[in-house]
Amino acid sequence: MSMDKLEQMLSSHFGYSGFRGGQKEIVQKIMQGKNVLGILATGGGKSITYQLPALLLPGVTVVVSPLISLMVDQVQRIRQRRTISAAYINSALDPTETRKLLTEIDQGRYRLIYISPEKLQQATILQRLKRRGVSLLAIDEAHCISQWGHDFRVDYLRLPDAVQQLGNPPVLAVTATATQHVRTEICRLFHIDEADVIAQSVNRPNIAFDLIEVSSEAQKREHVLEAVKSLQGPGIVYGRTRQTVDQLAFACMEEGVLRAQAYHAGMSAMERVLIQEQFLSGELDVIFATNAFGMGIDKPDIRYVLHYHFPGSLEEYAQEVGRIGRDGKPGYAGLYLNPEDAAIHQYMLANEYPVYEEVFRFVQLLATSSGHISALELAAMAGLPDESLDMLFFYAEQHGLVSQLTKTKDQYRYRLEKVDVSGAAMQISRTLEELKRTRKNKLMQMKSWLHEKDCLRQALSFYFEGQRATEYTAQCCSCCGLDRSFYEQQPFTQIQKKPDHWDLHGALRRLLPVRKEKEAITIE
Amino acid sequence: MERLSEQENLFVQMIALNGMKSLANERTLQAFYHILRGRRANQTLQDVHLFRLYPYYRLFPHLLREQWEEILQQLIGQGYIREKDLDRNKTTFVLTDEGEKWVSQGWTTYGVDQWLGLFHQHPWVNGHLQTFWLRLHLMVQTLSCLLEGNPSFYPVVQDRQIQSFVKSQLHDPTHRKRWMDGVFAELYKALEVLPSDIQPLLVKQFSGAHQTALTMQQLAYQEKLPPSLIRVKWRFGVASVMIQVKETPDLYPLLAALLPEEQSGGSQMSSSAQETYRLLQKQIPIEKIAQIRGITRNTVEDHLVDIAFHEPAWDASPYLTDEARRQILETSARLHTRRLRLIREALDDRYSYLQIRLALAIGEARR
Repeated sequence: MSMDKLEQMLSSHFGYSGFRGGQKEIVQKIMQGKNVLGILATGGGKSITYQLPALLLPGVTVVVSPLISLMVDQVQRIRQRRTISAAYINSALDPTETRKLLTEIDQGRYRLIYISPEKLQQATILQRLKRRGVSLLAIDEAHCISQWGHDFRVDYLRLPDAVQQLGNPPVLAVTATATQHVRTEICRLFHIDEADVIAQSVNRPNIAFDLIEVSSEAQKREHVLEAVKSLQGPGIVYGRTRQTVDQLAFACMEEGVLRAQAYHAGMSAMERVLIQEQFLSGELDVIFATNAFGMGIDKPDIRYVLHYHFPGSLEEYAQEVGRIGRDGKPGYAGLYLNPEDAAIHQYMLANEYPVYEEVFRFVQLLATSSGHISALELAAMAGLPDESLDMLFFYAEQHGLVSQLTKTKDQYRYRLEKVDVSGAAMQISRTLEELKRTRKNKLMQMKSWLHEKDCLRQALSFYFEGQRATEYTAQCCSCCGLDRSFYEQQPFTQIQKKPDHWDLHGALRRLLPVRKEKEAITIE
Repeated sequence: MERLSEQENLFVQMIALNGMKSLANERTLQAFYHILRGRRANQTLQDVHLFRLYPYYRLFPHLLREQWEEILQQLIGQGYIREKDLDRNKTTFVLTDEGEKWVSQGWTTYGVDQWLGLFHQHPWVNGHLQTFWLRLHLMVQTLSCLLEGNPSFYPVVQDRQIQSFVKSQLHDPTHRKRWMDGVFAELYKALEVLPSDIQPLLVKQFSGAHQTALTMQQLAYQEKLPPSLIRVKWRFGVASVMIQVKETPDLYPLLAALLPEEQSGGSQMSSSAQETYRLLQKQIPIEKIAQIRGITRNTVEDHLVDIAFHEPAWDASPYLTDEARRQILETSARLHTRRLRLIREALDDRYSYLQIRLALAIGEARR
C-alpha cells in the first residue's frame, strides 16, 4: 500500500489532513504484518493506528479495551462518523444480544470489534472470532499488562494466551505511558522486536509546568478557585475524592462567574454523558473531576489542567496533563501542593490490597466450597471488596491453588488443586505485598518529582525515557521561571447571562426545527 | 439567600418527614428509605399501597444509605421525630408537635402538594415514568438531528433497550416521516397546558442538534431552587404529559406509542405474581403452587397479597371470609394501626398473618 493511498484514506474516512507523529510508521508496520508497540502521547491519535488498518485488512480488527464506558463511547463515536462498521462485546450485553452479535460477526457485518479482556477469554467467543479471521489484534492501554506498571489489570495477563488461540494474528500494543521497564515487558509478552517499537517523546513542548506550594487546605481552595477564574479555559481540575470535586464545583457554580461542573463516578450514567457532551461542545468553562474523567476524550482545545491533589504516579500525571493543548497551542499544567496531601495516598494504598488474614479467609473459603462460589457471598464472608476478588483468583490460579477458573456474571467456577491453605495464602500475600511495594515506589517517584529543583520538564521526560527533553515553545516550568499571566484570559471576560425569558414555542422550535431534508434517512 | 446546598438539605428533610409521618408507630425508620429508593421488595410495594405513598415511590432513586442516616439524625436532632421501640430489635418513631408544625409550614411554602397530588390519582404513572421519559428524550434527540439533516449523533440515553425501542419506532420510512412531521405539534400541545415554570424543566432537559441537555443540578442553579424540588416539579411535568397522552390517545397518536406497554391485564403485578394468579384461577392450592413453581409458601402468600391489591375481580373467599375481613378492618381502624402483630393479638390470634394482610389489602384496594 502506497503512502499516498494511506493519506488519502486518512483524509476521506477520518477527516485528517495528515498523519501525526508515529502514526504513519505504525500503520505501515501493521500492513507488513508485524507485531508493533506504539507509544503515543495522550491525544496523539492512538485509535487511528488500528482504525485505519481495520478498513484495509481482509478480516476483522479486534480491539481490547479495559473500560466498558470507554468502549461504548468509542463505538458510538465511530457510528456517529459512519466510517467503519463497529460493535462491542462486553459484560453489559445480555446472552441474547451476545448471540445475535456473534451471528452478525459470522456474517461479516463488522470490520472493527471492541472487546473487554475477560470476554476475550471465553472459548466460544475466541472460536467464533478465529473462524471469522482476525487480521489484527489491537491492545489499547497496553501498559495494563505490566504488574509493575501503575494500572495493572489481571485480565490483561491472560491476553498472550488469547493471541495464540486466535491463531497468532499480528498484535498492535498501544499506550500513552510506558517506562523502559514496562515497555520491555510488553515486548516480551507479545513478541515484539525492539525495531518495531514506535515511541514518541513524552515531552509536550506547548505545555508549561507549574508547582504551587500552599500551607493549608483553605489556602489551596482559595488559590484554585482564583486560578480557574483567571486562566484561559476550558480546563480541568483533578481531585482525588468525589467530595472534593463536588465542593469545588459547587463553590464555583454558586459564584456564578463560570460555567462549572463536577464529574465523578458517583453520578448517574446519563449525567456523565451530558457533562461530557457539554464540555466537548464548549458549553462549560471548567470541569472538576476525579480521574474517572478524561479517558478517550477528544477535545483539542483544553487550555489548562490543575491538580488539586497530586496523582499516585507520574504515569497518571503525564496522562492527565497530556490532555492539554492537543491543538498545539500553549497550555498550562498547575499542581497545588499541601504537605498534608500525602495522607490521601497512604489511606488509599492501605485499603487497596487485602492483608494476610483476609487472603487466608479467602483461600479457606475456596478450599471448603465445592468448585463454585458466588462472588457476593465470597466477598461478604471473606470481608473483602468485590473488586479485589478477580485479583485474588488470578493469583490463586497462578500459584496453583486452583485451575480451570471461569467467571460468569456473579459466580466463580474452579477446580481445587491443593489444600495447603496457609501455604497458598502466604504465597498470594507475598505477591500482593510486592504489588503494593510497586505502587509505593510509583508514589515515591511522584513525590520526588514534586521536590525537583532543576527543571520539571526534564525530570518528567527523564523518568519515562532516560533522557532529558529540553524543548518547549512558550514557557518551560516554575523551576526555570514561569509567568502565569501568560495563560490568563486577556482581558478577563465575565459571562453575561441574559435574563431568561421563557418562550415555549421558540425553545421547542430550536430543538425540533422544520425539516431541512426531504430525503429519507437511514438510521444506524 | 441561603446557600442552595442548605436549602436542599432542608427540602429533602421536609419531604422525608412528610412522607414518613404516616408510618409513625407502624414501621421501622428504614421503611421509608426503601420507598424513596424504589425498592421492589413486596413489603415495600405493599407499604406504598397500604399507606398511600404513591408520590414517594422512587422519588429519590439515588439516595444513599449514609444520606438517609444523616437525614434521620437531623430530624431527631431538631426534635421533629423521636425514636421509639417497635418489636424486638426494631425501632420506629413518633412525630413531635414541633415536627408537625415545621413540616406543614414548609409544605405550604413550597407548595409541594400541587406537584405530588397527581400521583395519588394516577398510581400507574410512577412505575412507567422513567421509561417514558428516556424514550421521549432519545426520540427528541434523534428527531432533532434528523430534522437538521444530521442523522449522526451521540445518543445521550445509553440504555440499549431504549435505543432499540426508538430505532424500531423509526425504522419504517412512512412512520419515520410521520414522527418528523408531527412531533413538534404533539409535544407543543402537551407542554402548552403545563404551568410556565414547569415547561422549561422539561424542554431544557432534552438534547438535540444544537442543544445539550442540562442536568437537574444545573437547572437547580439556574432556577436558584433546591435540586430535589426541581426533580419533584419535573416529575410532575412528565407525569402530566403521560396522563394527557394516556387519556386522550387520539390527540397524541405519536406520543402514545412511547407509553410503556401495560403488562397483561393492565396489571402492575410482577410477572411472578401473575403466574401465581394464573394457577390460582385454576383452583390450585397454595402448597401445590409453591411446589409447581419451585418457590416458597411465603412467596406465594406475598403474591396473594399482591393480587388482592391489584385484581379487584379476584375472589379471596377461600382464604378469608367476609366476616373475618370485616372484623380485621374494624380492629385496624379502632386501634389506628396496620401493624399485623397488634391486630392479631387484639383478635386473640384467631386469624393468620396472611388473612390479616389480605384483609388490609382488599380494604385499601376498595378505598
